[in-house]
Amino acid sequence: MTRPERPHRALLLVGLLCCGLPLLLRGSPADNDQPPVRVSSDVAWTHETVQLASNGDAFRGSLIGRQCAHCHGSEGFSSEPTIPNLAGVDRLSTWKQLEDFHSGKRSSPVMQPIALMLTAKDAADLAAYFSMLPTFPDPQDNRVFPQAMPDPVKSREAEKLIVFGDGHRGLPPCQACHGPVGYLKGAPSLATQNAHYLLSQLQHFSDGTRTNDINVVMRSIAKQLTQEEKAAISEYYGAGRGPSAGEAHPALP
Amino acid sequence: MRQKLVFALSVALVGGIIVSTRFHEVDIPVWRFFGGAGGVDPASLHLDGEFVESNLGTAREPDGSYTVRLLAQQYLFVPHCIEVPAGVPVRFRVTSSDNVHVINLSGTEGTVRAIPGTVTEANFKFPQAAEFDAPCREFCGPGHFAMRAHVRVVPQDQLANLRLDQRRSCDAP
Repeated sequence: MTRPERPHRALLLVGLLCCGLPLLLRGSPADNDQPPVRVSSDVAWTHETVQLASNGDAFRGSLIGRQCAHCHGSEGFSSEPTIPNLAGVDRLSTWKQLEDFHSGKRSSPVMQPIALMLTAKDAADLAAYFSMLPTFPDPQDNRVFPQAMPDPVKSREAEKLIVFGDGHRGLPPCQACHGPVGYLKGAPSLATQNAHYLLSQLQHFSDGTRTNDINVVMRSIAKQLTQEEKAAISEYYGAGRGPSAGEAHPALP
Repeated sequence: MRQKLVFALSVALVGGIIVSTRFHEVDIPVWRFFGGAGGVDPASLHLDGEFVESNLGTAREPDGSYTVRLLAQQYLFVPHCIEVPAGVPVRFRVTSSDNVHVINLSGTEGTVRAIPGTVTEANFKFPQAAEFDAPCREFCGPGHFAMRAHVRVVPQDQLANLRLDQRRSCDAP
């Protein structure tokens, strides 16, 4: 007894398979007409990169970091307002900035030649060292941080932007990425940063001098801030009143 | 036998109802699994591919339609101010670099879901020139309530001379 043939069923199967073909053939639209590619930073936060950047050896970093003390201070608090404080800045952001100086994505006549001498491992060690420095500067020392409190009107304006942002303009709050409410990889903690440096970086982001922020985050925020708002935010953080600082600084007036 | 059949049918019915009410929560459409490669790596969107920063914004296609490439990320849409033409088909291609966001074009019925790892496409046609906000409609983190883009629908002749390798947005220069 032979098995009855069922050509209909086979045809149906072939027909069903063919239905999927257009979906397979439909690719994404051609990207032949892309404008010249502009890459903000060579750093991408893949798993390997995060592992490399966050597992530095702090002791080795402290040995390399002796040379940084000339400008950035022996305890990570610089005495020049144009030079950033590095104490307590998280590992990923220090590492990313060193890598960007290394690759030339962020330009600085001082830091670029220094970063060219560092390997990725050296940068990770340095980042580990600076992240472990105490964030509380010695009030006896002549440090740039903390600076004078801004006047109450300014500081209220800054508080509003730091805590709530501005929903009407689509400005997210600072503390949603810079801590302590939310974090973004590569966004530094600002609680111990000095005011002049913060203001200059906000200006560099808004006028396009500094372009190493991944996916245009800070450039698009800084372009929407007015000059007064930039100054208010920088002075607020520079006065040690930033939300990650915890208690207000005892050395403050 | 009949009782068993009725039981099985009712279980299937209840199960079907539950599945169908939750169906809209499935983020990735089923045909993406058959569509082949189309995935993007959310961590390295800025290095190469379709969503590098120089390629974001409104682009004119050779057939006269327009494509808007939009990147949703931790509390910001890029470009922040989207410029689209009125009266012609506009295709949105959206992805996310961290978690799920939904851009809600508040002047219209349109929402586009941005999913990390895939590119979501949606077609719109804006009837006339208008301006409206486009907030994020899916809770995405502590900055969610301030996450908002701005859409500006302009007459089509304003975008007609856009070169094919040019991208437009109404962000501050």
